[in-house]
Parts: sequence; C-alpha cells; structure tokens
Amino acid sequence: MPERCPIGFDETLLSGYLDRELTQGETQRVRLHLEDCPSCRALLAELTRLREATRATPFRPPADDQWDERPRGAASFLARRAGWTLIVGWLGAITVFAVWQLARAPEDLWVKVAVFSLAAGPVLLFLSVLADRLRTLRTDRYRRVLK
Amino acid sequence: MNPSTMTRAVAGSAVPASGFDDAGLVVRARSGDREAREELARRCRGPAYALALQLLGDPEDALDAAQDSLIRLFESFGRFDPSRPLRPWLARIVRNRALDIRRRRRARPTISLDALLDEGHAEAPAAAAGPEERAADRELQRRIWRALQETSPAHREILVLRDYQDLSYQEIAAVLAIPVGTVMSRLHAARRSLRRALEGGEHHA
Repeated sequence: MPERCPIGFDETLLSGYLDRELTQGETQRVRLHLEDCPSCRALLAELTRLREATRATPFRPPADDQWDERPRGAASFLARRAGWTLIVGWLGAITVFAVWQLARAPEDLWVKVAVFSLAAGPVLLFLSVLADRLRTLRTDRYRRVLK
Repeated sequence: MNPSTMTRAVAGSAVPASGFDDAGLVVRARSGDREAREELARRCRGPAYALALQLLGDPEDALDAAQDSLIRLFESFGRFDPSRPLRPWLARIVRNRALDIRRRRRARPTISLDALLDEGHAEAPAAAAGPEERAADRELQRRIWRALQETSPAHREILVLRDYQDLSYQEIAAVLAIPVGTVMSRLHAARRSLRRALEGGEHHA
C-alpha cells in the first residue's frame, strides 16, 4: 500500500473524489494534486479497484416462501402498551407514597436525608440517561425509526 | 408470495402495486392496502437481507435480522415521511437490529464468501468477460469479504453502507447518526484498514 502522501495532502479527499462527493473546488484541488503525486495516484487506483470488486459482489435473499413478516397482533401490541402504562403508573404512585410517608415519619431529619439520598441516586442516574437520550433524539434525523 | 398477486390491481386503483414507487406504496400500505404491503416486502427483502448478511456474516442471523426489520419497518410507516427515500430508513432499522443481535447473541463465525456462493446466498460475479478475469474477480471478492471481517465494527458498517449498499454520504450520515464530514474521514480510514487487512491476508496465505 502506498505510504502517506509525501506532500502532506489531505488523503481523505481521495475517498470523497472516488465517491464523487466533493464540491467542484475540492474536485479540482484533488485533480491538480493527482497530476503531481504518484503516491496518491497509486492509492486512488487501489481504492478504485477494491470498491469496484466490492460493488460487484451480488447477494441473493432467501426464496419468498422462507419469509414471514406478519405484523405482531393488535392484541399483543395493546397488551404490551397497557403493561408498560401500568408498570410506570404504579412505580410513580409508589414513589409519591414513599416520599410522603418518609416526610411524615417520626425519624430524625438525618435519617430521612440518608434514606432520601439513597433513593435519589438511581433516580438521578436514570434522569441523566434520559437527558442524553432526549438530546440525541433532537439531533437525529431518523429519530422516529424504531430502534 | 404468489406472483399472480403482483399483477392484481391495488385496491381502489387501476394501477398494479408494482407500478408505484416506494413512497406511493408506503402511503397505500399505511392505509391498509395488503397488495401494496406485499409489494413493499418483496422490494425490501433483498436489500434488508444483503445488508444484514454483510454486517453479521451469518445467513441465519441475517434472515432473522431482515425479517424483524421488515416487521419494524411496517410498524413505523405511520411515522415515515414519504418525501424522504425509503432505503436509508430501512438501512437504519436493519443496522440497529443487527447491532442488537450481535450484542445479545454470541457472535457466530462469519461464513466465507465461497460457502455463501455454494449455498446460494451470493451469486458468482458476471461482469468480467473471460473465465480468467471472472476467477480473478471472484478471488478478490473472496479476499475482500474475509478482510472485511477483520476490520472494526465501525469500519465494517461504513464500508458496507457505501461500497456494498451504495448509499450517499448524506444517507450514511443519517443512518449512523454522525456528521456528513465524519463520513468521509471514517470511510477513508476504513478503506485503509481494509487494505491493511488484505495485505495481512496475503502474508498469511
């Protein structure tokens, strides 16, 4: 494989050139460089050969009778949604009840703070993961695709 | 699927399902048109299976991933924007499903391209003119397939999306959720890495 470009040219542009993904100006820059750089010319030739061989490898899917894309039943979909709603609802209710009970308990304040901070740890971790997910969703063009 | 069903007219339309483009079929499938859904499934099976096979390297895992991806594709029609191309949307679903399978199952060894050809999962290259050229092409494709398995998952998936699936940089960026500028640099690094793996294969042969 040719070594890195001796002139220090940005080689990644060669891939863009090969894939016709460069702007007109970048394409012109690469062309001019290729005229003077045998190393990059050799690399481009190799990359072209590999890409053509890769693209010419055809794959054949199994016969149609081996496929089964029947949708999941509406009943199971509704049951799953109802199940999650019940779980989340009850977890919320239990949390509110626990906090209320803790506030009313006769224990010392430091005991209450200790118990509360113990429970707050996992909640904060959950919230941080949730915040990350939400931030990702906002910048993801295909966010509505099922994962 | 029975081929005769493909010639039947789409419900409520005189045009057969095969006469619609992907977006038109999605709109009809969304409204419950069975013919449109079958035609879409027929169109998407090949690309979904090929991508899953290229990412996972095992025909059984690939069929599981592709079938599950099509189910998810149909479930996501309500959220699909028909003004956007279907292929990147499908590729994203297949890629995520392949990642799930790789994470949850113990990785199976990748099947060689020769075995895939023997078992009918791939076809012999037909582009080259003579038998010698064809043999040389097949040998290079076999080596590339093997070298691809030696590259990192990140390099493998970007090579597959560009060189096997022929997606544009814009589409790859959307599938991988990375900036377009990163696609070119990662792809070039992946090609370098593939070339190194090929050289390593030559030295070990």
